[in-house]
Amino acid sequence: MSGNGAVWGRVRGRLRAFPGRLAACGAEAAAYGRCVQASTAPGGRLAKDLCAPEFEALRRCFAAASSPGDSPLWGCGLEEAPWKDQTRSLHTGLSVVPFVAKKTLRGGL
Amino acid sequence: MQRLGRLWLLWRRPPAAGVAAKNLGLREVASGVSPPGSTSPRALNIFDRDMKRKQKNWAARQPEPMKFDYLKEAVGSQIADRVYDITRNFSLALDVGCGRGYIAQHLNKETVGKFFQVDIAENALKNTLEMEIPTVSVLADEEFLPFKENTFDLVVSSLSLHWVNDLPRALEQIHYVLKPDGVFIGAMFGGDTLYELRCSLQLAETEREGGFSPHVSPFTAVNDLGHLLGRAGFNTLTVDTDEIQVNYPGMFELMEDLQGMGESNCAWNRKALLHRDTMLAAAAVYREMYRNEDGSVPATYQIYYMIGWKYHDSQARPAERGSATVSFGELGKINNLMSQGKKSQ
Repeated sequence: MSGNGAVWGRVRGRLRAFPGRLAACGAEAAAYGRCVQASTAPGGRLAKDLCAPEFEALRRCFAAASSPGDSPLWGCGLEEAPWKDQTRSLHTGLSVVPFVAKKTLRGGL
Repeated sequence: MQRLGRLWLLWRRPPAAGVAAKNLGLREVASGVSPPGSTSPRALNIFDRDMKRKQKNWAARQPEPMKFDYLKEAVGSQIADRVYDITRNFSLALDVGCGRGYIAQHLNKETVGKFFQVDIAENALKNTLEMEIPTVSVLADEEFLPFKENTFDLVVSSLSLHWVNDLPRALEQIHYVLKPDGVFIGAMFGGDTLYELRCSLQLAETEREGGFSPHVSPFTAVNDLGHLLGRAGFNTLTVDTDEIQVNYPGMFELMEDLQGMGESNCAWNRKALLHRDTMLAAAAVYREMYRNEDGSVPATYQIYYMIGWKYHDSQARPAERGSATVSFGELGKINNLMSQGKKSQ
């Protein structure tokens, strides 16, 4: 963890909001859970993306359930962003805004 | 037991010459290779003890450590009960993997004269709970106890042996430092611990990512525990199991509590990353498959309590073959036999 724990604190704060947001999506979560549980019954076979439609619904509900003070990572910002087709999770904490050169060192700060 | 994803930014320095880029940040799996000079060729290197020490230090440094203490308190008081059950006073006792001293706080000065607290995390030893027995804190690894042979009357260990790499050796060490007619009372997590979390993560990871990696550490089976204690030299073994079920609002709270207890995963083969998609899917599966009526989700902790004695001549031994004076066929007349025995005394 970094010296003052700023990044860790920020990421952990986002994670703390997860239970609340998940609670708002009870129906979608239950549908996804039922789909996965059905595959564990005898005769079922769990493969990748077996329950992809249910999970997509859950993910959209989860993203929409973000509270107002949230950062744009994996929240409402995902819908308008040009990278909205990107499906891998962004929880490394790296900013998703494309890098824009701000100032050169020559000009001072 | 559970690592909650990678939570820190990494700006990687350019790799040193000769280091393949794909190996950056990946831990090397050391499997099945014992360090030179080790006395047990069967030693495995499953857990990263250095990381476990860091995790326990971090957990002990939290602003509210008592928030996560409930499980260790419960098991610590159970072990103290078992110590009281033995009608003996112990002048010198040792607590292996003591944490903040959950066992010692329940015992009194008459039962235990002096307590040695051993742990690998110095922060836990610095923040010990209040206890009336005089204690000495020693920073040591459970597998390398720095004590002489035949030192302690009593050795206790509560919920820390499931992180040792070489459990046979640790038990042999405990047997070594015990005095003859000394007793070892231990508690370890058993095979069914956190099976709900393990299954939910497996299913979610398979569905989301196409495969899964272990997130809950492997536990000892109860049969193996008896064999291990016997092989270490203990006599008169007793092993019994207990299941504690704790209800949580959801999977995320459970994982946060596990991390706060210092029980995060530290196996070498752990995956460094747990994707948010997988976490979300696992929480949904956990809730759907295991929830209670009131909406909370249970987590099972299966505890094995074990008692073993170090051999001493005064201990009861099985009788010699051929020394029987009555036969089993006379079991129906046992009342007559007993009253005859009383008359002859």
